[in-house]
Amino acid sequence: MLTFDDLVKRRGSRDILSGVTFRAEPGRVTAFLGPNGAGKSSTLRILLGLDRPTSGTALVDGQPYASLRRPLRVVGSVLDGSGAHRSRPARQHLAWVARSNGIPRRRVGEVLEQVGLADAARVRAGRLSLGMGQRLGLAAALLGTPSALVLDEPVNGLDPEGIRWIRGLLRSFADDGGTVLLSSHLMGEVASLADDLVVIAGGRIVATGPLDRVTAGYPSLEDAFFALTSGGAR
Amino acid sequence: MSAALDAVAAEWRKALTLPATLIALAVAVAGPVALAALNASQNATDSAAEAVLAASPLLTIGAIVLGVVTAGSEYSAGRPVAVTFAVMPRRAVVLVAKAVVVTGLVLVGSAVAMPGALLAARAAGGGPGETEPGRWLGVAVYAALIALIALGITTLTRSTVVPLIVLVANGTVVSLAFLLYLVTPLARYLPDLAGMRMLAGDDRIAIDDALAPLPGGLVMAAWTVALLAVAAAVQRRRDA
Repeated sequence: MLTFDDLVKRRGSRDILSGVTFRAEPGRVTAFLGPNGAGKSSTLRILLGLDRPTSGTALVDGQPYASLRRPLRVVGSVLDGSGAHRSRPARQHLAWVARSNGIPRRRVGEVLEQVGLADAARVRAGRLSLGMGQRLGLAAALLGTPSALVLDEPVNGLDPEGIRWIRGLLRSFADDGGTVLLSSHLMGEVASLADDLVVIAGGRIVATGPLDRVTAGYPSLEDAFFALTSGGAR
Repeated sequence: MSAALDAVAAEWRKALTLPATLIALAVAVAGPVALAALNASQNATDSAAEAVLAASPLLTIGAIVLGVVTAGSEYSAGRPVAVTFAVMPRRAVVLVAKAVVVTGLVLVGSAVAMPGALLAARAAGGGPGETEPGRWLGVAVYAALIALIALGITTLTRSTVVPLIVLVANGTVVSLAFLLYLVTPLARYLPDLAGMRMLAGDDRIAIDDALAPLPGGLVMAAWTVALLAVAAAVQRRRDA
């Protein structure tokens, strides 16, 4: 379980996050929705120990992420594309990531196969398309067979076949008891996939709950989204 | 402990799969070999042993580039540092692992470059001269320390351009420490001047009261450790 408790992030005089509180539970796909700049990435970066909150906590199974000794065995994450150095081949990127967490080398071939990049293993990360970069990021996230996945805009750049594929992958990951937290500003992809919704606007959580409850009273998720986020933002 | 070893192994693999690192290593090794051969063939120095020492600044430059790209590659396009810190959240361990890798690469590079340069200088017609093992060790230690200083500075600046220009110019055109020395003799305690006698004999240094090789090396090492400690502290506090 991923828990966010009263996260506040201030940069200079700007409030990036104000009292962000929600949970992502095991066995469920939680979609973290909001317009660009609403604070989705900041929240996820704080969870992963990359950014420091001004106050509040973000915990993984009750522990700060930074205290995990081999984090990839607990949480796999993708932020902003693959994050691989552009001049390093895909396979080499996965190899060092695996080594850093004491993950057996054979997993590299397995995850490449799993995300459909086996043929691109020797291609430098900088030459991969946006969608292939997403797949490489996901491969790294899956290396340690984690119990949670944290994905920032995972469908960005994927073609329709890729979107369908990631949907199936995340669904079965959650059905096997895993926790999935994914951010998106695209509602179409989310509506068919998410069990729970967390909606953020202007750094504040404006709605949380099961998909059908959050969208109750609105004709569609899209209508719910615009109604919720336009009220919440300023 | 195992986490630290994992980090060193991961950083080692990262370094050896980055073209920029391999280019820096090639400069550090091939540079002195080629220059020593050139020195010897032109009779620019008295002996092959002298030609090797005269060529060693290229090893230093390779080491600087190595230190800079090891830290700087984390901040290139796509910000690879986010993955690095997500998979290894203990940032100080990452910096130590990088320091171990840089030191190892520079020492291995020196162990190949110096004998290689001597062989090349002899082959190019240089007389044998007197090879000084202590001086060779000094060259390697100086190169490793300057590479670590480059690592520390680049960790702080998060960009490769400025540290690369400043450090290479400082090592080749004119040393800032030397300019300061013209103002105050205390400048001989600054890192590059302090370590200078590890590379060069008393007679080859532009200042008269340079620190002896061992104390000078220790002063330079102390600067290096202090700089890396500052880099670790800053890196720990800031958003990746």
